[in-house]
Amino acid sequence: MLEIKGLEVNYGKRRILHGINLTLKRGESLSIVGESGGGKTTLGLSIMGLVEGTVRGEILFDGKNLALLPEKELRKIRWNRIAMVFQNVENALNPLYTALEQVSEPIVAHKIGNRDEAKKRAEELLNMVNLREERFYAYPHQLSGGEKQRVLIAMALANDPDLVILDEPTTALDALTKVEIINLIRNVCNKRELTILLLTHDLSAASMLSDRMAVLYAGRILEFGPTPALLSNPRHPYTRGLLRCYPCMTTTKDLQGIRGRMDFFDTGCPFYPRCTQSIGICREETPRLEENDGRFIACHRGGIIPLLEVRNMSKSFDSLKAVDSIDLTLYEGETLALVGETGSGKTTTAKTIIGLFEATEGQIFLEGKRILDHGRDKNFYRKVQMVFQNPMESLSHRLSVQEAVREPLDIQKQGDRAQRESRVRRILEEVELPSTEIFLNKYPHQLSQGEAQRVAIARALILNPKLLIADEPTSSLDASTQAKVVKLLLNLQEKRGISMLFITHNLALARKISDRLAVMLRGNIVEEGPSSEVVSSPLHPYTEDLLKAAPTLNSNVPVMHASVPEVISKKNEGTGTGCHYASRCIKATGVCFNEKPRLRLCSSHKVACLNL
Amino acid sequence: MKTAKISTYAIAFLIILSLNFLLPRMMPGDPLTAICGEEALVEMTPELRTELMHRFALDEPLRKQFFVYLAGIVRGDLGYSYYYNAPVLEVVLEALPWTLLLLGSSLILSTLLSIIMGIESGWRRGRNSDKSLLTATMVMNGFPNFFIGIILLLLFGVYLGFLPLQGAKTPYSGLSGLNLLLDIARHLVLPLTALTLSQIPSSYLLMRNTMITTLKEPFVLTAKAKGLSEASVRYKHAGRNAILPIVTTTGVRVGIIVTGALFIEMIFSYPGVGLLIYNSLFMRDYPILQGAFFIVTVFVIVANFVVDSLYAKIDPRIGIDGVEHAH
Repeated sequence: MLEIKGLEVNYGKRRILHGINLTLKRGESLSIVGESGGGKTTLGLSIMGLVEGTVRGEILFDGKNLALLPEKELRKIRWNRIAMVFQNVENALNPLYTALEQVSEPIVAHKIGNRDEAKKRAEELLNMVNLREERFYAYPHQLSGGEKQRVLIAMALANDPDLVILDEPTTALDALTKVEIINLIRNVCNKRELTILLLTHDLSAASMLSDRMAVLYAGRILEFGPTPALLSNPRHPYTRGLLRCYPCMTTTKDLQGIRGRMDFFDTGCPFYPRCTQSIGICREETPRLEENDGRFIACHRGGIIPLLEVRNMSKSFDSLKAVDSIDLTLYEGETLALVGETGSGKTTTAKTIIGLFEATEGQIFLEGKRILDHGRDKNFYRKVQMVFQNPMESLSHRLSVQEAVREPLDIQKQGDRAQRESRVRRILEEVELPSTEIFLNKYPHQLSQGEAQRVAIARALILNPKLLIADEPTSSLDASTQAKVVKLLLNLQEKRGISMLFITHNLALARKISDRLAVMLRGNIVEEGPSSEVVSSPLHPYTEDLLKAAPTLNSNVPVMHASVPEVISKKNEGTGTGCHYASRCIKATGVCFNEKPRLRLCSSHKVACLNL
Repeated sequence: MKTAKISTYAIAFLIILSLNFLLPRMMPGDPLTAICGEEALVEMTPELRTELMHRFALDEPLRKQFFVYLAGIVRGDLGYSYYYNAPVLEVVLEALPWTLLLLGSSLILSTLLSIIMGIESGWRRGRNSDKSLLTATMVMNGFPNFFIGIILLLLFGVYLGFLPLQGAKTPYSGLSGLNLLLDIARHLVLPLTALTLSQIPSSYLLMRNTMITTLKEPFVLTAKAKGLSEASVRYKHAGRNAILPIVTTTGVRVGIIVTGALFIEMIFSYPGVGLLIYNSLFMRDYPILQGAFFIVTVFVIVANFVVDSLYAKIDPRIGIDGVEHAH
C-alpha cells in the first residue's frame, strides 16, 4: 500500500532523511524506533506531505507518488486515506475548540457528512475510545493527558483512513493509561484492518503494536526486521544500545547508555563515532541496508561481531575432565557471565582461553581468526587481557603501581617512556584512581584491596583490549568496593565497547552486569541464554538451585532441590555418562543416570536437561 | 462574575474619584477658581463667593469636602460651567455621543483591519506582499496621528473637496432620517480614517507577530494534516488563536485611542469630548475639564471591564473566575 523509495528530506543544507526505503502492506504495522531527533517525525510528516524541507525520492501510496502530488490532491488524501495521531504535546489540539468539535471537523471539511452527521459520528468515535460522555464538550486544557490521547486517536479515525501514522502515542502517559491506550489501538486496528506506522522511542509500545520494526538513526535505517526478533536479538550495535538504555522489567543488567551523541553525516555510517566496533571503512563509506538471515542491517561489519568463539573446547588434567567440550560465543561489547559452583570449571575455561592452560581439544577464534595453542603472540594479548580474583597475588609485590601498570606497554614496546607514563596516568584516572607521584610510587602492600584491584584493572586495560576476562574480580572485595568496581567495568564497557567474560559464583551480581549467562556444572555448560531469561525462568534444576541460593534479604533459608553434595554417586563421578546433576537432582529419573543430556534450544534459551 | 476583578476595577474607580477631587484643590491659587473656572470670577460677588464656598464645603476640613464631593457625584452633579452656563454633566453628555461614535467605530475598524492584515501578513511571512505591507505600516507608524489628519484634510477636504472639512453634521440643514445618517457618515469619514490609520500599525504588528508564533504551534500542523482548506487553517485555527493578545490589549488601546481622538477632534473640529476639553482649556473652564476627564476615565475603565469579560468568552482557558486554569 505504501512504498517509500530513496526518500531524502533536507532542511536547508541539513539532510534529515537519507535514502529511506520502506514498504508497508495493507493491514500491517511497522514501527520506526530510535532516539529523538533521528528523523522519525520528519518521516511521518513527509508521508502526509507536511514536511517543511525539500523532499526527494518517491512516496508511493496506492501507486500515486505523494511527493509530486499537488497540494489540492494531497488535501483529499489527508485524513481520508492517511491520518496521523500527533504526538500528545501541549497544544496538539486547538485550545479553543471542544473535543467533539475537533473530531467532527474533518468530517464536515471533507464533505463526508453534514454537521449533524459529523457530530453523531464524532460521538460514536469518542465513545469507542472510551472518553467519558461529559468530556465530549470539554476543551483540551480540561482534559487529562490520557483523555487528550484518546481524542487524538478518535480524531485520526474520523474519516475512516487506511493508514494511520502514530507519533509517540504513549510517551506522555502513565503506565496504566499507556496500557489502556495500547489496547485501544490494538482493538481498533483489528476491527478496521488499519495499516499502522508507529513512530516512537518507546520500545515496549513498539513491541506491543508492531509486526515489524525499523531502527532509524540520524536519518538512516540501521536495522529492520520482525519486531520480536529485533528486540530479543538485536544485531546492530545501535539497536542493542537502545535496548540497553531502555529500562524495562525484562532486563536485569544495569542501564547503560550509548556513548557520544547523535550527529548527521553525509558520508560514512552515521553511527560510527558512537559505535565501539567501528573500523576505517565505517567512516568513509555509508553501509547499505542489506538482508542477512531474515534481517536487514546497515553495518560494514555485518552487525555486532562475535569477538570470541570457543568451539568444542576441552581441558583435562590427567583423567579429570575439567572442561568438557564447551561452546561459547562472546559478542563485541557484551558481557557473558560464567556462573557455577566452585570446581565447575569456570576458571579453567578462562585460563584455557587466555592461554595459561593448553586446550586438550577444540578451537578458539578471536575476531574470526583461529588461535593456535602456540600462536598467542603479543598481538593476542593486546586484544585479550585478564583480571584475577586476588589482586594482591596477581600484582607483583616488587613492582610499583607505575611499573605494574606500565609493564604491558613495555612488553608491547608502545611509545616512548614519556608517552607510556602519560598513558599510565590517564588509565589510572579512568579507573578512578589518583595519578599523583605518591600513588604512582606505591607498592601493592600499601594499597587497599579495592585500590589494588583497580590497579589490576588499569593494567589490564592499558593496552585497550577488546576482551577482558575477569575471574571473580570482586569476590575478595567488600560490597561497597565491589559496587564501585562493577560500575567502573560497566562504564568502561559503554565507553570502549569492551567484551567481558565475567566469571563469578554470585548470580545476584552476574545478572546486574551481564547480557547473557552461561551456567557451568562440572565442566559442562548446562544452561545458557539472556541473563533476564535465565534468571526469571530457569529451566535446569541446577540453575534453580543456584538462584535459590543467591543472596536475598529474606530471613527464610531456601530449600534446595538437591541433596547435599556428599552423597554424589560414585558411578557418575568423572565418567561422563549420565547427567552430572542427577545424583543431586530431585527431578532425576533413571534415564538421567545413564544418558548425558545435550545442550539444546528450549523456549528462549539453551538448556541441557533430559526432563524438559 | 469574578469578585477579584470587580474589586480591582472598584479600586481604580476610587483612585480616579480621589484624584479628581484632590487635583483642583492642590492647584496653586484659589481653589474656588480651580473648581468654578475663571469665567466665574467675572461675576464673583462676595455673596456668591460665600455661597460657593459653602456649597463645596471649602471652609470645612478636607474629609468633609470629600463627602460633599462624593454626594455630588452620586447625584450626578459634576459642577456648573459658568462659561456654558449649564451644568457640567449636561455639557459633557452632549459631546460624548460624537466621541463615542468616532472612538467606537475607529476601535472596531482598526481592530478588524489589523487582525485581517496581521493574519494575512503572518501567513505570507517573508513574501513580497508581507514585506510591502510591513514597510507601509512602519512608514505610517512614523507619522503622528494629527499629521495624518492634516494630510487627509488637505487632500480630500481642500483639494478634492469630496468630503466636509469640519463638524459632525451640516449645521442648520434640517436633514432627517436616512439623509441625516448619510450626512453624519460623510462627516465621520475623514476623522475616522485618520484615527484608524494611526491605530493600525501597533495592533497590526502585534497581530502579525502572534500569527507567526501561532503558526508554529502543533495544532496548526494538526489542522493541515486533517486536510482542511487553507482558509480554515489560517482563520479558524491559527487566526482564532492569534487574536487573543489583540483582544487583551484592546483595553489598553482604548486609553491610547482616547488621546488620539482628542487631537483628531481638534483638527476636524469634531464636536466631541476632545474638542470640548481643548476649548475648555483655552477658557480655563476647570469644571468642564474635570468633568470631562472624569467621564473619559470612567469610560476607559468600563471599556476595560467589557474587554476583560469578553476575553473570558473567546478563550475557554480563562474560566469564569478569571484565572487561567492550570493543567
